[in-house]
Amino acid sequence: MPDEADPPFDLAACLARVRRKDQQAARDLVGHLYPLVIRIVRSHLPRRVAEEDLAQEVFLKMFSRLAQYQGAVPFPHWVSRIAVTTCIDHLRAQKRRPEFRWADLSENEAEVLEAVMTNANDVAANDAMAAHELVHKLLGQLKPDDQLVIRLLDLEQKTIAEISQITGWNQSLIKVRAFRARRKLQKLFQELRRKERS
Amino acid sequence: MNNSLHDPRHPWFRLVAAARTVRDDRTEGAPYGFATRVAALALAPERAVRSLFEVFALRALVIASLLAVCSIAINYNEISRRLAGGADDLLLADDDTVVAVLALAD
Repeated sequence: MPDEADPPFDLAACLARVRRKDQQAARDLVGHLYPLVIRIVRSHLPRRVAEEDLAQEVFLKMFSRLAQYQGAVPFPHWVSRIAVTTCIDHLRAQKRRPEFRWADLSENEAEVLEAVMTNANDVAANDAMAAHELVHKLLGQLKPDDQLVIRLLDLEQKTIAEISQITGWNQSLIKVRAFRARRKLQKLFQELRRKERS
Repeated sequence: MNNSLHDPRHPWFRLVAAARTVRDDRTEGAPYGFATRVAALALAPERAVRSLFEVFALRALVIASLLAVCSIAINYNEISRRLAGGADDLLLADDDTVVAVLALAD
């Protein structure tokens, strides 16, 4: 029933009220943008950082910089850039990335990795969770910026243009980062093969 | 085995394809009280009473700078005399035993 459906969220009106320090409008804005922010936070969550803390930091930055928002890009894109840069800042602050070692993998993860490296078959459906963990561990070996680009390109299947909108980086920079990240991943796979053989 | 990351059959792409099938069942709604807490923090009124450090830091810097300028002005004659006298005089003028011994050795 269309009559009973919630009315569309009026973002412009809500922003105007937030600028007038309306608490209810601020709550509505947080509620409206939370799914967008938490999706970004969850997919780029640094180790040892609680997702709710990171989401709160993103929203507080959003409110503190609201006066700088000129409407050049859609508001959700502007917020997603804040979320992405906040996650990258946290990833950079961690500095040390744990080394990827066969010994640290679970039995299932090691089996899946060995299988994809020795045969050409797709990963079995019941091994998807192990593959998911492996992908995140492998991505953890990349620099934060490169990690973000590969995650968006390969895992979330975004286009270069979409990544540019989300991150605010120009398309050439994204291509360079993707190239660099792929080269690093390639090297990582070669090392894993060598270690597996030895 | 596929060795190039341009090859869609590379192990990486097969891992990623499998990883994409994992559904994230976590809720995307804001936890209870989250929006209220964030809104309250974000729109909290500016602190009326600033800390003593905030109040006095800039003044302390200004006063310290003024004192530095005054001390240079007061001792200007001595400074300019020493500078005009050259580095050797400056060294010898000091009551430094090592300098005196070295000067005698020369």
